Formats: sequence, structure tokens, C-alpha cells
Amino acid sequence: MPSEETKERISKVIEVGRTVLHYGWIPFIIYVGFTRSNPQPSLIKLISPLA
Amino acid sequence: MASTSISEKDSSPAPTPSVPSYFSYFNPVSPIIDVYERLSRIRADLDLPHPGSVENLQKEVKATHLSNYIFDGARADLTKSLSVNPLFQVTHSFALGSQTLPASYNFGAVFANQKVFLQGSVDHEGSINGRFNNGWSPNNVFKAQAQLSQQAEQSMIQLEHDYSGQDFNANIKAINPSPINLTGVYIGSYLQSVSKNLAIGLEGLYQRPTPQTSDLTVSYLAKLTSTDKTWIATAQLQPSGILQATYWQKLSEKVEVAADLQVLSAPTRRDAVATLGAKYDFRAATFRAQIDSTGKVSALLEQRFVPAFAFLVAGEIDHFKNAAKVGVGVMIESTTLTPEEMGMVPPP
Repeated sequence: MPSEETKERISKVIEVGRTVLHYGWIPFIIYVGFTRSNPQPSLIKLISPLA
Repeated sequence: MASTSISEKDSSPAPTPSVPSYFSYFNPVSPIIDVYERLSRIRADLDLPHPGSVENLQKEVKATHLSNYIFDGARADLTKSLSVNPLFQVTHSFALGSQTLPASYNFGAVFANQKVFLQGSVDHEGSINGRFNNGWSPNNVFKAQAQLSQQAEQSMIQLEHDYSGQDFNANIKAINPSPINLTGVYIGSYLQSVSKNLAIGLEGLYQRPTPQTSDLTVSYLAKLTSTDKTWIATAQLQPSGILQATYWQKLSEKVEVAADLQVLSAPTRRDAVATLGAKYDFRAATFRAQIDSTGKVSALLEQRFVPAFAFLVAGEIDHFKNAAKVGVGVMIESTTLTPEEMGMVPPP
């Protein structure tokens, strides 16, 4: 059984990971897609729904 | 030097022909390995088909019924393909005028190649839905799913590992697992082909909402597939008294029908719902119609005028409650790629 201190540290790590995932997941996919796409699209075409 | 090694080799007795004469740390367990290999050879000789995963047990029925596709109000989906291989596309979805859901805007992005699948969507309130699939090998797939919203209580994470053998499928899932006190929901399932047509399986659901309380329920699964795969019947039984039986049949290339029966027979409550649905695939349209025993009649038409533009009409009438829902939608696909880049040959 982990100590109270370890538990607190784990829950803090989870909380930080959750926040990182929350704000970073979509930008991460766009970054991966943008860099790996073949051919590479222009950024304006990526974001705008009309272009 | 050489002579001693030869004499050693000669003097070492071979107990059984199957055990190799050279020394190996596996020698003590080699009979077990031998039996295992013989059994796996017999099993391979049976040539049983792969039963599909437990999650996809009712896949055909769900694809035929319109419950997963119906919507009300107005909606528009603008999909933009930016790359085909690897797949990369972004989607802007707008929905409004629904009776049950508030107006919403949703932005989604999908990236997929042979091994990795990444999907994410964010709505106007800042809630994130994410999926991550990673194939370690063609048989081993790890999946993760998360729903993150501004309120921590509404967040959900699901970790899953799927293993497909030659004639079985095993899957373990953990929903909201906490590494601190091991609370969460854990699901393990196993589906095994026992003959060319029949597959049976088990699904165990272990719930541990608090460290003090836990609960295990096991449900039983069966799937019967016809030899030519034109019909599939499945059943799932939970000992608490819930039975779900489905039947799906492909009547022709273009017509599929599916029936679903859910029976709840607990001591306190008895209930049953039957659903019957059909799906017609036309050259440029898909039509789904469905009727169920709660008095709902619904239909969904998806008409594709040109390959990049589809128009959807959905309707549902609840005869018992005297209520109706109507939905219209458009789906527009655009691409930044030229036909050559998409791998299409331009018409001559």
C-alpha cells in the first residue's frame, strides 16, 4: 500500500496529465497530420471550413 | 579437447526422441511444451474461423438499424480530406434545433496510418473526445479513449487491449482505473469459435466504485454464423435476467434486415423491447427504416447527389407518446488534393 505522500503525488501527476491531454490532444493530432501528410497542406486550408 | 566433447556427447543418454540431446534449461518442461505444440497443431488443423471481437458481436445489426444514425433538428458536416495515405482529415460539424440536445459546434481531426489511429474532437464548450489506437502487431491492438470536460467528474478514460488469435478473441478493458486505490470498472471478454459456425464466449464485468465495495457479473455470449455468412444470430445473457438476442440477414446485395430483442426479467421489473429494421443500399443512396415495440417508427434517407455532397432526412414518429422528430442534414466533403494525388485516374 503506497503512503499518503505517494498517493498525493500520483493524483497530482494524473491531474497534470489530464490537463495536458485536454489542451494538447487536438493540436497534437493536427501537428502529426500536418507534418506527415503527403503532400503537405497549407495551414489556412487546414483551419478554415470554406477554403 | 575435441575428443572430450565427443565422448561427452556419446555418453549423454537420450531419454525420449523428442527431447533434444543437448543440454537446455527447458529440458524439464519440454514434455509440456511438446504437448502444447501438439495441441496447437490439432487446433490449427481444425481450421476454425476467427469469431470477431465481443465488441463487434452485434456490429451488423447496429449498422443496419438506424438507432446509431438518427438525429433531429438540422445539422451540417463539413469534412475536408487533406491527405489520403496516411489519412488525415478535419471535420467541422454544426447542429441546431434539436429537441433533446442544445445547438453545438464540433471540430474533429483524424489521422490514421497502418499502425496508428488518432482521433480527436472538441466542442464549443471545450470538451474533448479522444481516441488512440495502436497496433503493436496485426493481432495485438491497444486502444485508449478519453472524454475530458471542464468538470473533472464528467471525465472518462478507457484503456483497452485486444488480442486476436487464430480462432479466438480476448479483450481486457479498464474504465476510469485509479492507480491509487484500484477503483474503476474492469471488463474482460473472451470469444472462442467452437465449430465452423458457432462461437461462444464470456464477458466478466468487475465494478469497484469504492475500495470497500466490489461486484463481479459474468455474462454469456453466443454467435451463430451461417456458412455463407448471409445471416448471423447472436445472444447475450446476463444472469441478473437480461437477455439480448439479435438476428441479421443479408437478403440480397442491396437489402439487409435485422431484428433485436431485449428482455429484462428481474424480480422487480419485467420489460421487453423488440426492434425490426431494414437497410437498402441504392446506387447513390442509403435508406434505413425501423419499427419497434415501443411504438416508434423511424426512417433515414441518405442521398448522395454528387460524391462530395450528401443530403440526409430523418424522421421518427412515436405513436404511443404522440410525438415526432424530424431532422435534415447535409454532408459536404472537400479535398485539397488533386485527382492524381488521390490515386484516381482522371476520366479520358
